[in-house]
Amino acid sequence: MHELALTQEIVAIACKAASGQRVHVITLEVGRLSCVSPEALEFCFDVVAQGTLAEGARLDIRRTDGDELHVMTLEIEEAA
Amino acid sequence: MCGHCGCGQPELEHEHVHADGTRHSHPHHHDHEHSHATTIVELNTRILAKNDALAARNRAWFAGREILAINLVSAPGAGKTTLLERTIRDLDGQTNIGVLEGDQATALDGDRIRAAGAPVVQVNTGTGCHLEADQVARGLNELRPPARSIVMIENVGNLVCPAMFDLGERAKVVLLSVTEGDDKPLKYPHMFRAASLMLLNKIDLLAHVDFDVERALACAREVNPDMSVLRLSARTGEGMTAWYEWLQREARAASEAAFV
Repeated sequence: MHELALTQEIVAIACKAASGQRVHVITLEVGRLSCVSPEALEFCFDVVAQGTLAEGARLDIRRTDGDELHVMTLEIEEAA
Repeated sequence: MCGHCGCGQPELEHEHVHADGTRHSHPHHHDHEHSHATTIVELNTRILAKNDALAARNRAWFAGREILAINLVSAPGAGKTTLLERTIRDLDGQTNIGVLEGDQATALDGDRIRAAGAPVVQVNTGTGCHLEADQVARGLNELRPPARSIVMIENVGNLVCPAMFDLGERAKVVLLSVTEGDDKPLKYPHMFRAASLMLLNKIDLLAHVDFDVERALACAREVNPDMSVLRLSARTGEGMTAWYEWLQREARAASEAAFV
């Protein structure tokens, strides 16, 4: 279940980049040759994100043809 | 209770607090009377960036010491530890071999390697299904392998997850034993694609199993035409010489690469 380790990385990357703001959407690129199951990422995400700035965020997973595994963008709440 | 998010509010009234302190309620599937001001942050960050950076550091650490690092992978029970035991005994006095032994639990394999005569650090991954680069870095800190030695990293028995995690090794070596299916390279293509060498192990048992060697080789070539293949039995010693020659070649190459 390497998706659990990957999800922990995704949440860590997102929370660091969010600079204290709530994260609404995390857009990922997951290639078909990447050996990663988007369903397993979704499954792990809710648990891993609990108690973090990314709790309740939506994963927007875009499939690509290569072996890409990227966090592309974050949609975060604007600083007040 | 609200059936959408389990918030405890009636189905049509959902109350929540925004980050700016605004508290309001509205039914689900609503148009907001105020907008959530959001902003997009461009990242384009590789998810494995942290592991890959640590792996690069390990690789440089190995290169600086002219150490050949091998990431040994296979399904559980394919014979990784038996291969290492015989390799350590046969190369005793010729080559310094140190072992990082990855398993979810127990020090059983580490004890076997130690009994064979090599220094070993057992890395237990707990629930983890693969080794990651930082575990290898910590293991190396403890193992302290000498310059120009070989470090064998025996990964957790698993043909899926270890394929993704670079540890800083020079090569992945995958074991396929004849007690498994001959179509395994097709079923686990990521691992066989990532490997430089496939060792077809337990060939002493070929007479007793339905394993089709030619089919296995064809399957391996199909997913990775560049992968070398050696047939051997770590139990009887048959075919091991070619494996030792491969190791010596790679050790020389690792040594030369250190001076580029």
